[in-house]
Amino acid sequence: MSWLTPDINFKIISPELIILIVALLVLILEPLLKGRSKNILPHISWIGVALALVSVITLWNREELGFNQMFILDNFSCFFKIIFLSGTLLVILSSISYLKEEKIFHGEYFSLILFATFGMMLMASSLNLIVIFLGLEIMSLCLYILAGFRRYDLKSNESSMKYFLIGAFASGFLLYGIAMLYGATNSTNLKEILIFTQGFENPLFLFIGLGLILVGLGFKIASFPFHMWVPDVYEGAPTPITAFISSGPKAAGFSALLRILLFAFGSLHIDWSFVLWILAVLTMSFGNVIALSQTNIKRLLAYSSIAHAGYVLVALVAGGDSGISSAMFYLLAYTFMNIGAFIIIIFLGEKKVNLDDYSGLVTKYPILGITLALFMFSLAGFPPTSGFMAKFYVFSSAIKSGYTGLAIIGVLNSFVSVYYYLRVVVIMFMRAPVDEVQKVPIPFFLGLALLFSVWGTLHLGILPQSFLTLAQNSIFSPF
Amino acid sequence: MNIPILSYMVFSPILGMILVMLLKKEQVQGIRWVSAIFSFIPLILSFFLLANYDPSTSKMQFVEFHKWIPSLGANYHLGADGLSVPMLFLTALLSFVSIIGSFNINFRVKEYFAFFLLLETGMLGVFCALDFFLFYIFWEIMLVPMYFLIGIWGGPRKEYAAIKFFLYTLFGSVFMLVGILALYFTVEPHTLNMMELIRRAPELSRGFQLIVYVAFYLAFAIKVPIFPFHTWLPDAHVEAPTAVSVVLAGILLKMGLYGLLRVSYPMFPKAALYFALPLALLAVINIIYGALVCMAQKDLKKLVAYSSVSHMGFCVLGIAAITVTGISGCVFQMVSHGLITGALFLLVGVLYDRAHTRDIDAFGGLWVKLPVYSGIMTLFCLGSLGLPGLSGFVSEFMVFIGAFPVFKVIVAIAVLGVVLTAGYFLRMIQRIFLGEFNPKWEGLPEISGREIFTVTPLAILMIFIGVYPMPLANMIRATMENIVRLVGG
Amino acid sequence: MQFFIFLIVSIILVVASILVIVQRNPVVSALFLIAALCAQAILYLLLNATFLAVIQIIVYAGAIMVLFLFVIMLLNLRKDEFGFEKRKAQRFFGILFAILLLVELGVVIKIGLSKIPSTEFSLDPDFGGVQSIGKALFTDYLLPFELTSVLLLVAMVGAIVLAKKKL
Repeated sequence: MSWLTPDINFKIISPELIILIVALLVLILEPLLKGRSKNILPHISWIGVALALVSVITLWNREELGFNQMFILDNFSCFFKIIFLSGTLLVILSSISYLKEEKIFHGEYFSLILFATFGMMLMASSLNLIVIFLGLEIMSLCLYILAGFRRYDLKSNESSMKYFLIGAFASGFLLYGIAMLYGATNSTNLKEILIFTQGFENPLFLFIGLGLILVGLGFKIASFPFHMWVPDVYEGAPTPITAFISSGPKAAGFSALLRILLFAFGSLHIDWSFVLWILAVLTMSFGNVIALSQTNIKRLLAYSSIAHAGYVLVALVAGGDSGISSAMFYLLAYTFMNIGAFIIIIFLGEKKVNLDDYSGLVTKYPILGITLALFMFSLAGFPPTSGFMAKFYVFSSAIKSGYTGLAIIGVLNSFVSVYYYLRVVVIMFMRAPVDEVQKVPIPFFLGLALLFSVWGTLHLGILPQSFLTLAQNSIFSPF
Repeated sequence: MNIPILSYMVFSPILGMILVMLLKKEQVQGIRWVSAIFSFIPLILSFFLLANYDPSTSKMQFVEFHKWIPSLGANYHLGADGLSVPMLFLTALLSFVSIIGSFNINFRVKEYFAFFLLLETGMLGVFCALDFFLFYIFWEIMLVPMYFLIGIWGGPRKEYAAIKFFLYTLFGSVFMLVGILALYFTVEPHTLNMMELIRRAPELSRGFQLIVYVAFYLAFAIKVPIFPFHTWLPDAHVEAPTAVSVVLAGILLKMGLYGLLRVSYPMFPKAALYFALPLALLAVINIIYGALVCMAQKDLKKLVAYSSVSHMGFCVLGIAAITVTGISGCVFQMVSHGLITGALFLLVGVLYDRAHTRDIDAFGGLWVKLPVYSGIMTLFCLGSLGLPGLSGFVSEFMVFIGAFPVFKVIVAIAVLGVVLTAGYFLRMIQRIFLGEFNPKWEGLPEISGREIFTVTPLAILMIFIGVYPMPLANMIRATMENIVRLVGG
Repeated sequence: MQFFIFLIVSIILVVASILVIVQRNPVVSALFLIAALCAQAILYLLLNATFLAVIQIIVYAGAIMVLFLFVIMLLNLRKDEFGFEKRKAQRFFGILFAILLLVELGVVIKIGLSKIPSTEFSLDPDFGGVQSIGKALFTDYLLPFELTSVLLLVAMVGAIVLAKKKL
């Protein structure tokens, strides 16, 4: 009997391994540490994330395949890993004080966040639908649990349950789609699917499979009409987890979608772009219009995150080099500004989630008020913030590809969105403070995360060139 | 001469803003003086601009160019020509005057001055940006502080007014954004450089020009405001604090006109010709409608606000004519309206601070009690209604002369607007300053030295331009001729 | 022939799956789930994936479902949620079928596994067998295989986090 050596390449998977090892380490240490010494767990976690970030950067500008063509290391995946890891870093840093406040400071929390990150990273750098599916499952499973982490809170339970049921349903669609594609192309490898789709005849169930995959990933990125879980889940989940769900998994979903649509199905752009066009318009409009009437800030940001998914879909419809890089840039910018906005909500706690609770915030916490205003303006797409650059880039790529109508709808949508983002600012700046509760100092690590997000939002807004170059260098060659 | 003078101008208020933010909330006097000093710097620099400007050419001067975001084709590109320099000067002057005029603000002082300085940066930036990306950024940046200034320090309906102002303006600018992008991708090779785009304008097809012209027109017309987009203006002006009204009327309204002259005309000449007549019609609606609404106003500030609508109509009429005299008249009117209306708002604010009412009918015979104030107010009212010898007359006269050969009937109707203007201003003067003294105002103090100081430069300039318009006319002539030549009207 | 078996088994699978959801009684729904899993195993057999079919029955229909049933029993469901009416006949048939099953098992063992008819397809004799699956899992599909272990770990952690009374 001959010995077969599997195609193992630890080097290209090192960031993932670091995250996995740290996650396991935290999991093992949790029962061993007692009392105050548990405080070290979040620090282990974020240091691990930082190390992974470093290792991603060292792997920049290489292109290697491994694990029987299932895993790919390229700049595209590295860029997305930077997005995920930055998001995770911000969430971990801002969770510490929150968890103590809510009395749910458990090591499993950090471990699960790291596992979820691990799943996202796999999704971004996978060339095989099976691995994409597994990465998605690992990520989603962690998120279902994290959403219900405030176990004593009914809303959190509801959030977890809803997310789980709908998520499992979506996974079913995705898996069914993968099976269909396998049936049509005899492979789950995206490269082989690409070769197949370049042929002359494409069987019907290839498109059915693609449609099912779109549905499955549509749930994850929260695009219309697969968005109905978003508001309830966002509202009920612990706020740091809401921040996490709204940035990382969305970006992960988009990374998979980009690979599948623009890489494997790049030659069929005409066929699917029409569907996506409609989805993008509906997603943007729906998210923005419903957000107008929200009074709970978590729900408001939930609908806003639906709308932002719509903007990224615009970039996907545009396709081509600039479409891919603009989607990536957008997701990076969105991570900073969105988590930044959530950090302030995290600081104010679970009880202050109504917009009225934000009255006069700026007189009480000037720094928080000003930064939240900055994030709101960024989400609304105002210069000189990252939100503006990102939107500008997305819409310019849409116009470049000839989708002027879509760009106009997008621009009008971002006009509508200004109204509700501004409402938050109005309440913070122009209303009198409601109560005179004692001012609490801002915890150090939360402040650090806030600083990091402000830096990201401003840097990507004022001097975006370095990151634009990064995004442009990290596209995979589209069809 | 390689000093980046425009950059200094644009960014010194930002520096002031940062300094103000670093000061403690309680150091009110310090905050005020820092703001005053940092808004005085652009004023000094603008004198420098005036002194060094070469009026013999229509080329951009004081140009600064740096690469900024090559992947988006955006550059840091500033410059000034005969159109920009007067506007930069006006902006610097009115900002400084308004900041001095805001010394009586006692509520959230630090934020107020920080926002004001940010606003000044935005305004200065718009008038000298030569790259579309930069232009758009300044255009939008300006909105944010303005929104806060109206929304926090405004009158009773401030939130409504602030949101309305913001959404109206933003609605226009999103179309401008699409227009910019469309322009960027149509021209080969892609560029956002405004000067380059002007050179390439003849390559654009007529249909494309018409569409993009409309997109830009929406942004500019809302800002001016041209009928029927004017409804935000009375709300914003009335609710805004005095100094903000000054800036709003004195500078922000001019941006729409500046945009028409800088962007729409040179870049879309065919569309400009096509839309000249509709524009003239809208202008005359502005003039007559604004004046008629003024006749019915009881609120002093609202009256001044609607008079702006009317006066902006003259500017638009001058632009629509596409003659050198007409467009020069428009620029004159821009400057003169900035000076006069700015001063009028300041003076209305002076009266409101003392009497806490702006109801015209509540006053009467104030001349007896406040001779100095009444004298100054009357002087500016006369300037606004176009008394010969003051700047208002010169500019309106130029507009009429420039436009008459093109639109005879329309100009004839527009002249009626002057009569109406005289009507409502004289009526206002009569109600407030003449007639029987209302004893209720026995204790009203006279205008203070600081307040006189704020309006003095405006008065001097108004009289200077009215008596001796040649320096300004010389300065802008080459540029205006160039615009008319580009449009080919 | 194969097609008819496929058709019948598929119908059983679909109907059983629907019944799993529709049934109010959790025990009955678990039993239908077993039926569905068994039908699935037959589908695997039709595809010549003998190893998978056996695993399917042993692991899913066997171990996991027994666990499910235990959990349902332990849940202390109320009578109306768990209403079985015990009948005499039930006990009788229960015993009868249990004896029949035992006899069948004895017969199968006696005849031996050697006489199972081979299929008419000319496939790799090892297709769907232990060796080929093992080879695939540990070489080509090593990454997904290992990822599955992470997935299971996460699921375990999650179950504990959500269910444990005091963390």
